[in-house]
Amino acid sequence: MSKEKYKLHPISAVINFVKVLKDMIIPFVVVIAVNGFGGSKDSGDWSSYIMYGIYGIILIFLLVSGIIKWKRFRYWFEEEELRIEYGLFVKKKRYIPFERIQSLNYTEGILHRPFGLVKVKVETAGGGATKEADAELTAITKAQADQIKREMLQAKNKLPIELDDSDEPVVVQQPVKEEKRAVFKMSRKDLFVLASTSGGVGVFFSGVAVFASQFSNVIPYEAIYDEIVVFIRFGALIVALAIFVVLLIAWIVSVVLTFINYYEFTITVEDEEIIITRGLLEKKKITIPLSRIQGIRVVENPLRQVMGYATVIVDSAGGSLAEKDEKIRLLPLIKKAKITPILQEIFPDLSFNPVLTKIPRKSRKFFYRLDYVWMIPVSAAVSYFFYPFGLFSLLLFPLSYVLGVWQQKTAGYFLNERQLVIQYRLFSKVMVWMEKRRIQSMTERTTLFQKRANVSSIITTIKSGVTGDSTTIPHIEKSDAEMLLNWYEPHRRVSIEKEQPLD
Amino acid sequence: MRMEPINKISEKGLRVWRIYGIFQTFIALLVGIGISTVNFFTGEYLWIYIVVGGIVLLIAYLLIYLFPKVRWMRWRYEVREQEIELQHGLFVVKRTLVPMVRVQHVDTEQGPILRKYDLASITISTAATNHTIPALITAEADELRGRISVLARVAEDDV
Repeated sequence: MSKEKYKLHPISAVINFVKVLKDMIIPFVVVIAVNGFGGSKDSGDWSSYIMYGIYGIILIFLLVSGIIKWKRFRYWFEEEELRIEYGLFVKKKRYIPFERIQSLNYTEGILHRPFGLVKVKVETAGGGATKEADAELTAITKAQADQIKREMLQAKNKLPIELDDSDEPVVVQQPVKEEKRAVFKMSRKDLFVLASTSGGVGVFFSGVAVFASQFSNVIPYEAIYDEIVVFIRFGALIVALAIFVVLLIAWIVSVVLTFINYYEFTITVEDEEIIITRGLLEKKKITIPLSRIQGIRVVENPLRQVMGYATVIVDSAGGSLAEKDEKIRLLPLIKKAKITPILQEIFPDLSFNPVLTKIPRKSRKFFYRLDYVWMIPVSAAVSYFFYPFGLFSLLLFPLSYVLGVWQQKTAGYFLNERQLVIQYRLFSKVMVWMEKRRIQSMTERTTLFQKRANVSSIITTIKSGVTGDSTTIPHIEKSDAEMLLNWYEPHRRVSIEKEQPLD
Repeated sequence: MRMEPINKISEKGLRVWRIYGIFQTFIALLVGIGISTVNFFTGEYLWIYIVVGGIVLLIAYLLIYLFPKVRWMRWRYEVREQEIELQHGLFVVKRTLVPMVRVQHVDTEQGPILRKYDLASITISTAATNHTIPALITAEADELRGRISVLARVAEDDV
C-alpha cells in the first residue's frame, strides 16, 4: 500500500513553465523592445520575424518540457525513505531516508492557492554544496503534504505503521495541537517601518546595474546616448527631478515588495519547531526544528538603533533552509524592548538578561590602530595628488578613532554555565547568543602587540548552514581569555561529563 | 596561566618546511632571473640587480631559515580524553580547543615530500571547522587518528 506511486498535481506543468519563463522574461522583453524601437529600419523586418519565430519555438519547447517533467515525476514511500523519480531526458531517482530529512517547507504560490495546493521542499542535513533543496514537490494537495509529514514522523519515531489506522494517533496528535501557539505577529506599523527602512532601494538599483551589465551588448547605447544628450538640454532641473522620481519609484517598489513578502509575518512554536509564515501573494511557510538552531543574534544598525528597532537572526545548521543563506530572519524588525520576552518564550532554557563584561580601556588602541596602516599611505597620496581638497582625507583619522572607541565601548561578553553571549560592533551592533554545546571550537588569538599589552582575542565558531560562522570577542585581558578557554574545556565540567555516555 | 600543549611536532617536519622554503625561494629566484634578464637587454641599471638580489636573499633567509624555525618552535598539540588543543602561528599565536564530541571525522594526508620523510599531516574536522596538525611521524599520525576517532565516537545527534 505504501508503495503506491504518487504524481504531482497537473498544475505543476504550468508552474514549471512559468518558473522557467520568469527567468527568461527580462531578456525576452529587452530583445523585443530593441527590435521594436531601433533595428527595424533598414536591416529589414525579416530578421526580427526570425527572432520572434525562435522565441515562439523556445516557448513551445519550454511548455512541452514542463509537461514532460510533470508526467515523469513520481514519488512514493518505501523502506522508510522518500523516493522520487524524475528527469526530462535522463531518468533520475533519488532516495531520501526519512531520518535524514530535517525539514519540510511549504510554499503556496498564486497558482497553488485556488486548488488548495502547496509546494513542498524537502531538506536534509547533507552538507552538499548544492544550493537547491534536496527535493522539491512542485504542487501537491495539502492532504498529500500531510501524508509525507506523517510518514516522516512515523519513520523517525519508529512507530509501527498499523498504528496509523487505529485510534492511537489521536492520542499522539492531541498534545501537538496544544503546544501550537503564536509567539509573534508583526504589526502593520512595524511592517511599514521595515519596508521603508530596508535596504531594498539599494538592492533594486544593484539589480538594475546587474541587468544592464548582462545585456549591455543588446542595449543600443549609442541611441540611448543621443537621447540623453537631448535630454540634458532640457536643463539640469528636469534631470534632477527625473532622478528623484526614479528614486521615489524605486523606494515605493521596494516598500511594496517588502510589504508583500513580509505580509502577516507570524511565528508559531509547535512541537519543538519554529514555524514562520509570511507573504501576501505567495504564502511561505518555513519550518526550523529548534534542535537545529545554533545561535541567535540581535542586530541593530545605527539607523534602526536610533528608532529603537532591531532584527533577530537565527543561525541554523543544515542545507538550504532559507533559500539564499542560512541566517534566517526570525524577527525582521521589532522594538528592542519586546525582544526578550519573545525569545525567552521560544528558547526557555537560555538567559536573555546578560550582564556584559566590558573590554578593558587599555585595549582601545587595538580597535583603530590597525586601520592607520592603510590610512596613512592612502591619505598621504590623496593629499598630495589632489592638494587642497585631498587634505579632507585627514578627517578619516578622527572618524576611525571615534568608530574604534564606539566599537570598544559596545563590545563585551557574558557567560554562565551553559551559554556565551558576545556583543560587538563593526558598524551595526550585534549581540550573539550561543550555547556551549553548540560551539564547534574556540581559539585564543594573540598578536605580538597584544602579547605586549597582555590581551588576546577569543574566536568562537558555530555551525551555520553548511559551513561555520565565527564570532570574535576582541582584545580582552589575557587572563579572561584563558578563563574562557577553561570554561569551554570539557573535562573541567563535571556536569558535562555526566551527560556523555563515554563507556 | 594555562599550560602549553605538551607535544611538539616531529623535528623532521622542520626539515620538510625548509624544503618547501627552498622550493618557494627557487620560484622567487626564477622571477628574479627573469627581471634581471629583461634589465640586461634593456637598461642594465646596476641598482636593479642589487635590489633583486637582496630581495631573493631576504626571501631565502625568511622562508628557509627563520619562518620554519619559529613555526616549529611555536607548534604544539595535545590530544586529551575529551578535547584536542592546538597552538600555532608565526606572528599571531592561535590556540584552539576542539572538544572530542564535536569531532566529526579525522583524515591523514601524505604528499610526496612528507612520504619521503615518513611523515603525514592529520586533519580534524568538526561540523564547521577544520584543524590540521602538519608533519607527524606516520605511525604516530595513524595512531592519533585511531585514538581521536575512538574518543570522538560519542553519539550526539544535533551537530
